[in-house]
Amino acid sequence: MLQKGAAKKVTIFINEDTQHHLGSLCDCILSFLLHKGVSGATATRAMAGFGAHHVMHTTKIEVLSEHLPIRIEFIESAEKVDELMPALYDMVNDGVIEVQDTEIVKIANKQRPAPPAGPHAELRGRARLMRIYLGESDRWQGEPLYEAIVKRLRLMEIAGATVYRGILGYGAKGHTHKGGRMPFSRDLPVMISVVDAEAKLAKALNEIEAMMQDGLIVFSDVDVIRLVHSRPEPESSDANR
Amino acid sequence: MRTVKKAKLLRLHFGEADQYQGKPLYEAIVNRCKELKIAGATVLRGLEGYGETAEIHRHRLTRKDQPIVITIVDSPENVERLIPEVEAMMDTGVIAASDVECVRIENPPAGRTDHDTTTP
Repeated sequence: MLQKGAAKKVTIFINEDTQHHLGSLCDCILSFLLHKGVSGATATRAMAGFGAHHVMHTTKIEVLSEHLPIRIEFIESAEKVDELMPALYDMVNDGVIEVQDTEIVKIANKQRPAPPAGPHAELRGRARLMRIYLGESDRWQGEPLYEAIVKRLRLMEIAGATVYRGILGYGAKGHTHKGGRMPFSRDLPVMISVVDAEAKLAKALNEIEAMMQDGLIVFSDVDVIRLVHSRPEPESSDANR
Repeated sequence: MRTVKKAKLLRLHFGEADQYQGKPLYEAIVNRCKELKIAGATVLRGLEGYGETAEIHRHRLTRKDQPIVITIVDSPENVERLIPEVEAMMDTGVIAASDVECVRIENPPAGRTDHDTTTP
C-alpha cells in the first residue's frame, strides 16, 4: 500500500502496436503491474507524437493511426520500483522508461483496508490537549480562521480537532464577544480543542502561530483512554475518514 | 510574538437555566470576572448532559436548560482569587481547576490585508 511522502513515478512510452509474446505490450505491462500488486497504473493513448524513429504518429493519417504513442504511468515506493524495474526493462524492447522522484501528498481510499499501524494507532496513555481561543470573525486569507486551522491540522495528520462556539465571552482584547441579531455581524468566542502527542502539537503550534494574529493557546497533560479507528462498512460509501 | 507561562484553567459546569439575581448565571459570572480583572472567560453551551440531580439537561420547548461550561485561563493567583467569588454565586454545579501551559500569541497586524478582528 502506498504511503504519504517520497515515492517514484515511472512513465513508460511505447507504441500502441508494439508486440510482446504475441500480445500487445501495453496490455502485457498493465497485467504485469496488476499481478505484482502495484497500487495503480494508468495507460493513456496520445493524440500524436514521435519517438526515436522520427516518424510522426498521428490520427490524421489513416495508415499511421495504428501506431499511436501510449504512455503508462504508475507511482510506487522506491523499493517496489527497484523490484519491478528489471522485468520492465526486459519487456520494453521499443520505447522509453523514465523514473522521477515524486511526493505523495494524499491517498484517499473510500474502502480503507484496515490500516495495521495507522498514524494514530500508537496514541495511548499520555498525550497533550491543546485549546485554542479565538473569535468567530477572525479571518485568515479570506476564510474563517477556525476553518483554516482545522484544515491545516488535518493536513498535518493531527489525530482530531473539535471547534466549539461559545455563547458569551471576553478576552485580552477587552471587548465582549456576543451574538448579534444578524448572523453576519456577530463575533462569538470560538474554542478549538485538539488532542495528540506532544511532538506533533509542538509542530502544529508553530503553524498556527503564524496564522493567528491575536489569541490564546493553552496546553495541558491528559490521559487518553482509547482511540478507535472508525472503519466505515463497505456498504456505506460516504464518510471515508 | 509568543509568551509561554504556567497558568490555571478553571471550568465551571452548571445549567443554562441557573440564575443569579434575576440574570442568567453565566452572564453574571462573566461580568464578575470582568470586575475582578480576570484575563478572559468563554461560555460554551453543551448539547445535553446531566449532573448532581441526574436530571437530563437538554433543550426542551418549554424550558431551555442545556449544560453550560465556562472556561477561564489566568495566573494561579487570579484563579485562587476568583474561586470563592464564583462559589458564592453558584447554587449547584462543579468547579474544576487544572494546571496548564499558556501560550499567548500576539502577531502585529502588518502584512495582513483584512482587518476583520476590529469589531466594536
